[in-house]
Amino acid sequence: MTHDGKGAADNPTDEQLVHRVQEGDHEAFTPLVQRHQRSAYWMIESILHNQADSEEVLQETFLKALQHIGSFRGEARFATWLIRIAINEARMRQRKYRPGLYESLDEEPPGDGEFRPRELSDWRPNPEQNWAREEIAALLRRAIQSLAPIYREVFLLRDVEHQSTEETAAALGITVPAAKTRLLRARLMVREFLAPHFKMDGHQRAETPVQPGRSVL
Amino acid sequence: MIRCEEILREISSYLDEEITSEMRVQIESHLCACRHCEVLVNTTKKTLTLVSDNSFLELPQGVSERLLDRLAKRHDSSR
Repeated sequence: MTHDGKGAADNPTDEQLVHRVQEGDHEAFTPLVQRHQRSAYWMIESILHNQADSEEVLQETFLKALQHIGSFRGEARFATWLIRIAINEARMRQRKYRPGLYESLDEEPPGDGEFRPRELSDWRPNPEQNWAREEIAALLRRAIQSLAPIYREVFLLRDVEHQSTEETAAALGITVPAAKTRLLRARLMVREFLAPHFKMDGHQRAETPVQPGRSVL
Repeated sequence: MIRCEEILREISSYLDEEITSEMRVQIESHLCACRHCEVLVNTTKKTLTLVSDNSFLELPQGVSERLLDRLAKRHDSSR
């Protein structure tokens, strides 16, 4: 989510709000919380997989952000700065309570070569129209939860929260090429997860036949 | 003509419009001729459209209220 408002008094930008907090106006922190709590929560939850722990770490994240807001100099966007705090706090919690799992957080899951999509049937047009809104929401959440942490993080930041690839890489402390590689794989895996739910039924198949022996994709 | 493996590698950059116009032409020419890759690109694009409306990740009930409450208490105690 971006908030690049034009600075109108009723819709200040994140950076204007940060400046007001830095000047001592603590009330200005509330809209920052309201804007960014959801993305911070889901980033934390993607690491901890537990609502109670995630809520506690979310609170710690904003307390820490408030405590250190004087050191925010605007080199990165506030959203990126905050997400970096959230990720650090969640990883610290992970290390403290489940040290065995920590090792895997930054590593490629074992046995990962190039991802090869297997579901190549076409999807129904607007497949989501056949689902209740909450059913689609639950399916999308399950798809994201099915990703290994290194893919989930990058997918959430880039494709759900619409940060740029550079901001995503900065928030995660990885290079831009690494972010792009992970993003490609994450997108293909989410697509693969959704495909069986959305593909056309037998009688609805697309008219263009697939040539036998074609493409290994 | 570029191969299916290259489409697979470039699909993200293609959808993000982060490729050269020359590569774009090559990819689109491949997609016209290869049904598998066309489906792969279209369904990946659809995937991104579905998640881009990020309302499917709402906060669990009460989380926001308790967060603001804790911040307010912290602020009060530091006065």
